[in-house]
Amino acid sequence: MGMLHDIIYSLPLGIVLPLFFALLICGCRPGQGKLIRALALAGTLIPCVWYLFIAGTFTWDHGDADYLKLTYHWFPAAGISLSFGADTISMLLVGLTVLLGPICVLASYTAITERLRTYYAWLLILQGAMTGVFLARDLILFYTFFEFTLVPLYILINLYGSTNRRAAATKFFLYTFTGSLITLAGLVYVAVKHHAGHHAWTFDFHALEATARSMTLREQTWVFWALLAGFAIKVPLFPVHTWLPLAHTEAPTAGSVILAGVLLKLGTYGIFRFALGFVPAACIHFAPTLAVLSIIGIIYAGLICWVQTDVKKLVAYSSVSHLGFCVLGLFALNSVGLSGSVLYMINHGLSTGALFLLIGMIYERYHTRSLKEMGGLARAMPIWASFMVFFTMASVGLPGLNGFVSEFMCMFGAFQSDSHRWAAAQAGHTGLLSGATPGELGPWFALAAGTGVIVTAMYLLYMLGKIVWGPLHEPGGSHGHGHDDGHARGVLPKDLGAREIGILLPLAALCLALGLYPTPILRALEPSTSAVARVIQHSRENPPPSGVPAESVASIAPADHPASDIAHPTSEGGSR
Amino acid sequence: MTDLLSHLPLLLAQAGEHAAHAPAAAGDAAHAALGAPRGVLPAWAGSLPLFPLLACVLCTLCAIFRVKTKLPAAITVALLALSFVVAFLNYQNTMAHPGAQAAVVPLFDWINFDWALAHNQTTPAHVLVANFSFYIDPLTCLWMLFVTGLATLIALYASEYMSHDVGAGYCRFFMAFNLFVFSMACLVMGDNLLLLFLGWEGVGLCSYLLIGYFYQRPSAVAAGKKAFIMNRIGDLGLSMGIMLTYVQFGTLEYDKLFPQVAGYWHLAVEHRLAEVPFLIQLIPVLFTVGAFGKSAQFPLYVWLPDAMEGPTPVSALIHAATMVTAGVYLVARFFPLYLCSAWALDIVAWGGAITALLAATIGMAQFDIKRIMAYSTVSQLGYMFCGLGVYGATGGVGHVFTHAFFKALLFLACGAVMHGFAGQLDLRKLSGLGKMPGWKIVSWTMLVGCLNLAGFPIITSGFFSKDSIVGGAFANAHTQAIGWILLITAGLTAYYTFRVYFRVFVGPKHYEPGDELHASHDDHAHGHGDHAPETAADHGHDAHDFHPHAPGWAINLVLSVLAIGTFLAIWTVYQLPKDGWVAHMVNTSTAGAATPEVEEAHFLGMDPHHGALIASIVMAIGGIVAAWWLHLAGRTTAATSRADGLIPALGPIPNLAQHKWYVDEIYDFLIVKPLWFLSHILYFADKLLVDGLVNAFGFMPRAAGGMVRRQQTGVLHDYAVSMAAGITLVVLVVVIISSGGHF
Repeated sequence: MGMLHDIIYSLPLGIVLPLFFALLICGCRPGQGKLIRALALAGTLIPCVWYLFIAGTFTWDHGDADYLKLTYHWFPAAGISLSFGADTISMLLVGLTVLLGPICVLASYTAITERLRTYYAWLLILQGAMTGVFLARDLILFYTFFEFTLVPLYILINLYGSTNRRAAATKFFLYTFTGSLITLAGLVYVAVKHHAGHHAWTFDFHALEATARSMTLREQTWVFWALLAGFAIKVPLFPVHTWLPLAHTEAPTAGSVILAGVLLKLGTYGIFRFALGFVPAACIHFAPTLAVLSIIGIIYAGLICWVQTDVKKLVAYSSVSHLGFCVLGLFALNSVGLSGSVLYMINHGLSTGALFLLIGMIYERYHTRSLKEMGGLARAMPIWASFMVFFTMASVGLPGLNGFVSEFMCMFGAFQSDSHRWAAAQAGHTGLLSGATPGELGPWFALAAGTGVIVTAMYLLYMLGKIVWGPLHEPGGSHGHGHDDGHARGVLPKDLGAREIGILLPLAALCLALGLYPTPILRALEPSTSAVARVIQHSRENPPPSGVPAESVASIAPADHPASDIAHPTSEGGSR
Repeated sequence: MTDLLSHLPLLLAQAGEHAAHAPAAAGDAAHAALGAPRGVLPAWAGSLPLFPLLACVLCTLCAIFRVKTKLPAAITVALLALSFVVAFLNYQNTMAHPGAQAAVVPLFDWINFDWALAHNQTTPAHVLVANFSFYIDPLTCLWMLFVTGLATLIALYASEYMSHDVGAGYCRFFMAFNLFVFSMACLVMGDNLLLLFLGWEGVGLCSYLLIGYFYQRPSAVAAGKKAFIMNRIGDLGLSMGIMLTYVQFGTLEYDKLFPQVAGYWHLAVEHRLAEVPFLIQLIPVLFTVGAFGKSAQFPLYVWLPDAMEGPTPVSALIHAATMVTAGVYLVARFFPLYLCSAWALDIVAWGGAITALLAATIGMAQFDIKRIMAYSTVSQLGYMFCGLGVYGATGGVGHVFTHAFFKALLFLACGAVMHGFAGQLDLRKLSGLGKMPGWKIVSWTMLVGCLNLAGFPIITSGFFSKDSIVGGAFANAHTQAIGWILLITAGLTAYYTFRVYFRVFVGPKHYEPGDELHASHDDHAHGHGDHAPETAADHGHDAHDFHPHAPGWAINLVLSVLAIGTFLAIWTVYQLPKDGWVAHMVNTSTAGAATPEVEEAHFLGMDPHHGALIASIVMAIGGIVAAWWLHLAGRTTAATSRADGLIPALGPIPNLAQHKWYVDEIYDFLIVKPLWFLSHILYFADKLLVDGLVNAFGFMPRAAGGMVRRQQTGVLHDYAVSMAAGITLVVLVVVIISSGGHF
């Protein structure tokens, strides 16, 4: 009993379970379609059950720092370990991953009819890898999972995508892979630096954090941009976003859902965990730059959405726009912005994931994504249209649904983040200024991002106006599902069937629940995000040496922090 | 509950802090001095919004189970009536404790968390609290009384009006209708700015869904989209204002906010505005942007006339009586904060005055009676803002109250006409309705509504509330120009209102059915399939054997109740601006904050209020007489009148006014088209430049890889190898560089 308990309450189980079922699927014969689907469903549902066990014991009131931390020494000589742990952010993102798992499997039941084994096996492997990224507490382990997510998605797009799939898959792979190589360089640099100081190798997050934070500003800058190279492409941040619309448009529905739902969050998760955690001084220095890039992305991608005629491409570009809010919240560098940003990762996964599912359902019926070829589908498919309106409103950021809370907090974080105002308030010059926090942004950033909220309404209502409202217009003049290839005929009802409603309902319920009662999650996030905000504030108050010749270092470093102390950090820096 | 306890020390500390520099809470200093006990209401007081929410859920269930009866309407009327009862009991309980502060009724935590920047600090430094809690004071009660009361009546009206959609859009209609009432309740009752914002955007969503109710009509879809986006522009201002409020005051909750505001408000009353920080003066300006969007004021008014694409009950409830007054509510609620700003109330007053005049001129030149009513709504909302802007909160709110009755009445009467004449709304194609059988009640109630809108002296409530605003404008030496604008607008209003009445309801008998008769019946979302075949008796006016469909009991009942209501409302406003029921309600709420002394002014040598009274009477009677002479006297056909002869004399003005001064076209040319063009350029640049640059990078390794292409056994294998090789290379390079020790 005790051993079973230990196994269930262990984090690697969430990674191993899907991989195990992927193996089982490999053992099936190609003809056993039903068995393969059942195994795939089991392989994604059982992790959900596992997650419920873990989440049931997680302290949601105030979060746990390294819940269920587990470390096996893998290559002790090289300091590489199989180290896992979970804090609120990891828990939330793993929750999103395991939730989308069965939804993706169910969404593929009628869409994927050939080479089932390959498809479902790689889908399960992808889920295992994504879970691993969020749970890893060792750099090498993290990077292994991080890179390994590329392979399954590459295969899913390349084999199961639409017409231009090969080019899309190749671009996706090369683009993101090149970026993450540079990220690896940055991470390895920190490890080498640690080795130089301690004469021992380690890749443990916490150990390296301390080293990284004590680096000079110049080193931090290099590491920061190296990390950003991979993570910004993953997010994707303007101007390195061009792989995304292509990959999204060509990917099969499940691929798009996972891509938008989880894979993009690897980028924001990486920025949160490594950029903010490792090199706070550089983050402070470059916060305005990143915020400006985010805001450009919000508006630029939003306007591009507005003139799309391919509905899937529209939603794909909307991800670029939405993730801009997420990154803006991160670089607000305060608790509200950071919490809002993490919440945004979840909310975007739910609402945009659902939008991709809905578009996939249309594509299965009409075999087109063009807004010119279809419209007014509310008349033909009222249930589908109701869900479409619901999730679009979640995406628009309507208060009461999930998108609002996170979007508002991201903008609000940027608004508050104003060191001058905060300092004035501390000095008591301007009376009551109790709401400002230290930071590098300010109201203008929030206002600029706020115009993006108007643009969001413009393009999403344009989409609704075309595809849901208006006179009914079905492709090919046929009524109902007018497709010619036989496999789906008779399988799909005119409007949504029970399976399709079943995969949308949990997402809708979560959108509503997170919109009306986000308080528990906000409270659980607060310790993690505030800890990061404090590290950054510490770095703001005690800036690291700039890394230029010694005499200027002495003049920059505060009196109580002699440069020699910082050069050899042992207990200084991020000991918290 | 435990959260509340844990925060208690903090709250107490804050309260003490405020007491130090805020001698009185906002509100009438005499009534709500600090130290007055907080109002206590029973726990069920907060249940008011739950009734419409429950009705919404039940209507959703009806839609899911495809109910093909009038059950959704029955549910809606019953539950909304219950919410009205709760609103009335809340009103009684609130008035039972005069002098008490507003009661706060908590429901549940929505957003509630705290954080600390310093690690070792035990008390949280920042708290962000925006709960589902309700702030119930007389202003809230006033608003909820007419919102729930009118919603109940209009739901009853809609049960008949929407009857041709039973089994089709009926459930959807009442679903959105109930969701609207719920959102409106959150907006008005919310005890914090974020809950207000939830209601604010929630009513916007319902407005969008209901304007686009006939979703197969492209014009309805476009109108819904326009309304939502215009509102979003305003909402951006409001959300910035909310953020700035938090940054300045550290809270979004009214009962913590207003005591702090009071500190600055005292400065304003003592004419020491210069001492109020700039950013605090900016907050009400940002709020005004939101208020102008929601309440359709210049320059954000263009969505409201288009919103008439929705079913008429929606126009009556949402786009005339309740939702569009949300902006007025916002200004009234934050009146003490507005007083702290040197410009906010001027912007409110001038925005209102410009809108009132502009919309009235457009209204004079329209032929669609529902659109005329829409422009009159925009114009009357302008009056309300003027009322607030010239330090006359009681007049502004009083006009909201009376306007809600008579404008709902006018829209519902127009709706009855539209319903009966197959969508006909053109005043050149209808005439002498009052003489037709079954149209007596509609005609008489329409006359009552028109008299109110025109401000007919003494016997109408609209006269008293409007006059209070005009008088308020003349009483202040700085706003006399606004008074003149409002006075001219009053004459125009009387003219265009009675233009409708004299053309449609009196005069020679004539009618032509609207285009819905000809609309194909396969369009079941909007067909009249149910009662089209009943054209048995022939009046011979139309080739299609059209027979007008006189309203049934529900419509007649609702019209009669509202008409009586407008007369009863006289009692609430006849003593404005100083006394009376509305003034009492306003003065015991936050809107009752005392205003700074203003330079006394005279109007034509008279006391401003008396002078305005006489001038208003002259303008109203003059407008009505002009309408009579131009549109009724000597008119023999429906299509033409004496006014047609006057048009050439006015040059291009009638044409410009009829085309709404081309404001829509100007917006389209200046904003929409350039933005659309820019978006296309961006999309093109994205494909060509941003992505092209990436592709150029990508080409280099591919060219180099051309040599080893023979070795490729499979694409994936190739990538796996290059992945491993790449990782190894990078690690090696970094290790080598780093071990050099220097960067």
